[in-house]
Amino acid sequence: MLSPLCQLPVGTTGRVFRLTGDEGFCQRIREMGFGEAALVTKLSGTATSLCLVNGMRIALNHGAAKTILVEHLPAGTR
Amino acid sequence: MAVEPRAGGGAADTRSSLPPHIAAASARRVVPAAAERMPVYAMVGNPNCGKTTLFNALTGLRQKVGNYPGVTVEKKIGEAFSQHGRPMKIIDLPGAYSLAARSPDEAVTRDVLLGRRADTPQPDRIICVLDATNLERNLYLVHQILDLGRPVIVVINMMDLARRGGVEINVIALEEKLSVPVIACEAVNGKGLVELRLAMSRAELPLARHRWDVPAPIAPAVADLQAALVDADRRSPLVARAEALLLLTDLDSVRVAGSTPLSQRTTAILAAWRSRWAGQGTDWSGTLIRGRYESITELCRGVIRRTREQGPSFSDRVDAVLVHSIWGWVFFAAIMLALFFSIFTLAEYPMNWIDQHVAALGTWVKGVMPPGDLRDLLTDGVIGGVGGIVVFLPQILILFFFVGLLESTGYMARAAFLMDRPMSRVGLHGKSFIPLLGSFACAIPGIMATRTIEDAKDRLVTILVAPLMSCSARLPVYLLMIAALLPGDTMPITTKAGIMALMYALGTLGAFGFAWLFKQTLLRSAPPLMILELPPYQRPRLRQILHQMFERGWLFLKNAGTIILAISIVLWFLTAYPKHPDPAATPDAQIAHSLAGQTGRLIEPLIKPLGFDWRIGIGLVTSFAAREVFVSSMGVIFGVQSAGDDTSPIRDALRQARWPDGAPLFTPLVCLVLMIYYVFAMQCMSTVAVVRRETNSWRWPLFQIAYMTGTAWFLCFLVYQGGRALGF
Repeated sequence: MLSPLCQLPVGTTGRVFRLTGDEGFCQRIREMGFGEAALVTKLSGTATSLCLVNGMRIALNHGAAKTILVEHLPAGTR
Repeated sequence: MAVEPRAGGGAADTRSSLPPHIAAASARRVVPAAAERMPVYAMVGNPNCGKTTLFNALTGLRQKVGNYPGVTVEKKIGEAFSQHGRPMKIIDLPGAYSLAARSPDEAVTRDVLLGRRADTPQPDRIICVLDATNLERNLYLVHQILDLGRPVIVVINMMDLARRGGVEINVIALEEKLSVPVIACEAVNGKGLVELRLAMSRAELPLARHRWDVPAPIAPAVADLQAALVDADRRSPLVARAEALLLLTDLDSVRVAGSTPLSQRTTAILAAWRSRWAGQGTDWSGTLIRGRYESITELCRGVIRRTREQGPSFSDRVDAVLVHSIWGWVFFAAIMLALFFSIFTLAEYPMNWIDQHVAALGTWVKGVMPPGDLRDLLTDGVIGGVGGIVVFLPQILILFFFVGLLESTGYMARAAFLMDRPMSRVGLHGKSFIPLLGSFACAIPGIMATRTIEDAKDRLVTILVAPLMSCSARLPVYLLMIAALLPGDTMPITTKAGIMALMYALGTLGAFGFAWLFKQTLLRSAPPLMILELPPYQRPRLRQILHQMFERGWLFLKNAGTIILAISIVLWFLTAYPKHPDPAATPDAQIAHSLAGQTGRLIEPLIKPLGFDWRIGIGLVTSFAAREVFVSSMGVIFGVQSAGDDTSPIRDALRQARWPDGAPLFTPLVCLVLMIYYVFAMQCMSTVAVVRRETNSWRWPLFQIAYMTGTAWFLCFLVYQGGRALGF
């Protein structure tokens, strides 16, 4: 199942499928290791999301989380 | 893990195993003899990798931090000593995720490393500091730096945190793969510093032998651009290659070129390649970044080992409370309340002590010197002016201690996370809150901290509203007005702290309101996309916080001893001369007759509708130099007026001040209006200068003066006239 990161339920993990934001933003998050195929776990947040990516805690505002399309992974994946 | 220093090896042997582009360039490079001059090191790393802690540990107090201490947004240069006692210069560069800079502070890092800045020598050697808990991400920047072909030392910091998180790093394996010194380090505990010094002391450092293949679709473009950059733009071959790779990472070539615009030939080649890739549907930037990460993954094979499955970390558990939608706000409010209470309660004892000693000094001078102008200059001008300011030092120190504590523990980024939602209502994002929160201490480091904001319009809006946050220079004015507003020591601390909090809230609301207005009108842009890394929580580094706090305190005292002293002396002269024709004239008559009195009367019609008289007007004019000068000005003006040997504190003098008709001047309403004036008015020359520098134009600082001071006047007019109409 695919959805924007902002809709990923808290406590679940997804795999980044596609980045749909502006090119500059995509470049920066790829450089931070948050590109396609990265695993992302949503820790908390609704308007602003707090996620765990490669061991780092990343906060994204709603606009940014909306541009990251993730594939939901089964429970227990991290 | 200790690293044995190795011999430099023969130059020819070393070159034979280097990547071809580095081998060719190193053969041409003339390296100055080791003993010729002090070697220059640059320290680089991702934000929050512990770089500044390491810099402080290496350089101690031998640092030059420019004029405005704060977070690492300005160039910091320090001096360290090798194992043989030889001095070495270290430049602490702003944290960066990539050399494809997206914000002004990252651009500084890139420009220094590429040797573009005329004010900073190109570093001879580079110390790359990495966060062990996130090695792969941190290696991305190192990967780009290795392209520069300069001697590099890799420091893997926070090894203890990585171990606790179940990550083992084989430092020797990484060193063998890179062929540069790799040091395991725990900067907070001082571990690894000896090994780092040993590596820095080596006469020769090997160049990295790590090779990586630029992805095939991109490689020909790199070669074309490198050739053009060498021929047409006069770059050295290695810088040209690194710059070519940056031009193919970042979509904005003007941003990459920075202050060194590209030639027509390079621009044309870049455009031709981009057009070709657009036709083929090639995501060239993504391809290059993926290529680097593939190389990094290969590099990390056999280097990183996970010893156990990572459960929720300490930071995860703390974050469950501190960024919680309810408890997070409760904690945030508690921190702010604790700050205001500390300012009033803890600071009271040292303040009383300073107050008594300043008064005693004034009385002593009056006792030992014969009456006359020189005595008055010393007691009313120097002691009254400077003493009135120095008394607020404890409160300034407490404020900076809190700001340092929030930064050092990692809570500042959480505050930005919490504030993202309210900030988004005014069109900004949480990242803008860090400069605003820093502006509570001083707008100057706050404005400089906006360099981390990528979007130019968002950055400008944040710069324009940052001075509305109540800085520490307003503190003396608020405290004086609260003391005059609520006479007597019986008034509960909560009331005083409440009024103070109200002023801070008013400034914050003003900042948010104007940010919204500017984003809707002058600086309209799409809602910003925010991505912010939250560092792991750390034990506060008390030494670093105290160092920063005393540095700021010293700057405050230096200001008091120079600018404020000079203004106090000038102001005393202006209030003492010309002399009243009648030698027996009262102090009131003398000051009215003086130059200051005449000037004050000139502006009185403008400020009388706000409830201010000409004496307050003199304070408003002089405090354009710095807000706290208002207090010293009041000290000088009302000190001059207090008859005889009375050196009573300024607040008592203010309570006794009268209009010509005998009505009290500093009524509760006037005190409140004065505080509101200082919340909104742009009264700081240094801030104006910094805004001019950061925006590279006079347009924005002049606009800032007009809108802030205009708002201050208008609101004060409304409150004063409204208050009078209601009978206050």
